[in-house]
Amino acid sequence: MRQQHIRVSLVALAAMAALASPAMAGDEGQQPAPPAAVASVPPPPGWKQCPRCQNAQDRKEADAKYKVEGHPFTPRDISGVWGNQGVGATFRTPPPFTPWGQEQFNATIGDKNAAGEPLHTKDTSGEGAGSPVNCDPKGWPRLHTYNYGFEFVVLPDRVLQFFELTHTWRTIWTDGRKLPDPPPQLQWNGWNVGRWDGNTFVVEGVGFDDRSWLSDTMPDGGFPHSDEMRVVERWRRVNYGTLEVQITVTDPKTYTKPWVTPTATIRLSPGAELWEDFCVPSDYNAFNSDVYRPVATGDKK
Amino acid sequence: MRTRCRLAAPLLVLVIAVCVGGAVSAHHSRAGYDTAKEHLTTQQVVVTEVIWRNPHVYLIWDSKDGGAQKWTGEFSSPATMLSEGLSRATFKAGDPITVTFMPAKSGNPQGLVIKIVRPDGKVIIDLSERRGLLEQ
Repeated sequence: MRQQHIRVSLVALAAMAALASPAMAGDEGQQPAPPAAVASVPPPPGWKQCPRCQNAQDRKEADAKYKVEGHPFTPRDISGVWGNQGVGATFRTPPPFTPWGQEQFNATIGDKNAAGEPLHTKDTSGEGAGSPVNCDPKGWPRLHTYNYGFEFVVLPDRVLQFFELTHTWRTIWTDGRKLPDPPPQLQWNGWNVGRWDGNTFVVEGVGFDDRSWLSDTMPDGGFPHSDEMRVVERWRRVNYGTLEVQITVTDPKTYTKPWVTPTATIRLSPGAELWEDFCVPSDYNAFNSDVYRPVATGDKK
Repeated sequence: MRTRCRLAAPLLVLVIAVCVGGAVSAHHSRAGYDTAKEHLTTQQVVVTEVIWRNPHVYLIWDSKDGGAQKWTGEFSSPATMLSEGLSRATFKAGDPITVTFMPAKSGNPQGLVIKIVRPDGKVIIDLSERRGLLEQ
């Protein structure tokens, strides 16, 4: 019986991946690309697609159109629209939890339906059936783990990172200011400052709201952090079309040693621009009521 | 799928493929649907409403199969559906379609849409060969 549940869950997970991220296939180091079965919806004349609206063929054509291969670049200019292929491997294998961290992690596991399938009821950021409003901010660095795009806008005194998913942004101050100690309030995307170390853009952050997760875990739950978390990111533009980033999370209250992520590769998306992709509480409530909850729990609509 | 999977090695291959492939959907699990290929359900229906919103697009249709009732058919996010060639203009109320879907295991009149064909035979979407989507 348990094996049956595992098998069903795996198929469901595969289904989720296939449906939720068909445009991801073909990204370097990930699954081989299936042939594009259908053309995506083209953007209006003079406009571009949103990053998540592109499929593998769109990205390939955009690379050719904008001559990404071999294009000259400035290593210290990271501006542009990036991603959509996801960097889901970022937070997969945690260092050992502290006893407190283990308690927090255990508390992220939600209720199950009658068939023993998780309902993600503790995730208030858009995946749970158990909360009437599922649009709490995902926060940084969880926003980094999704297969949606983002845009870096470089200004003289700051870098703005706009996220396609949930249509939010964070500010990385580059004017030489120091991190607040202590931060005057906790923020979902933290308090962030950046500096150049050679051609590596180093971002340091503190003051993260401890209700957010580093990422979700499957089949349920998420990796927690405390309000003491410090995050260091090292971004490097290795060519015109490629960013690399590694993130180090230091949170001795939750993890017994720093969590150093694998280096992720993120592709430029020259054929894309950000559209709205808000998490709208009333829409989520309607979806949960009309679709998700009756399917997940068996409740009648 | 991540740290809490404890799986036999052959199954782990699938899980790694899913994990690395980026099952980082922003949204909801589909565990409530019956993924068995032999349980795919096909109905000739009339669209009554198109909900083109986050987190997932869904259609509402009337079906006379098994008694007249309203069904909901779930897709993925609007952005993902655009990448699949569907837009908010693809369907409108009154459209007759033939829809194939994974039925909800609960028995509620709901499904995860796999394929839609118009009366003239034009295939609007067909995910039936999508890797890993259906249990063989």
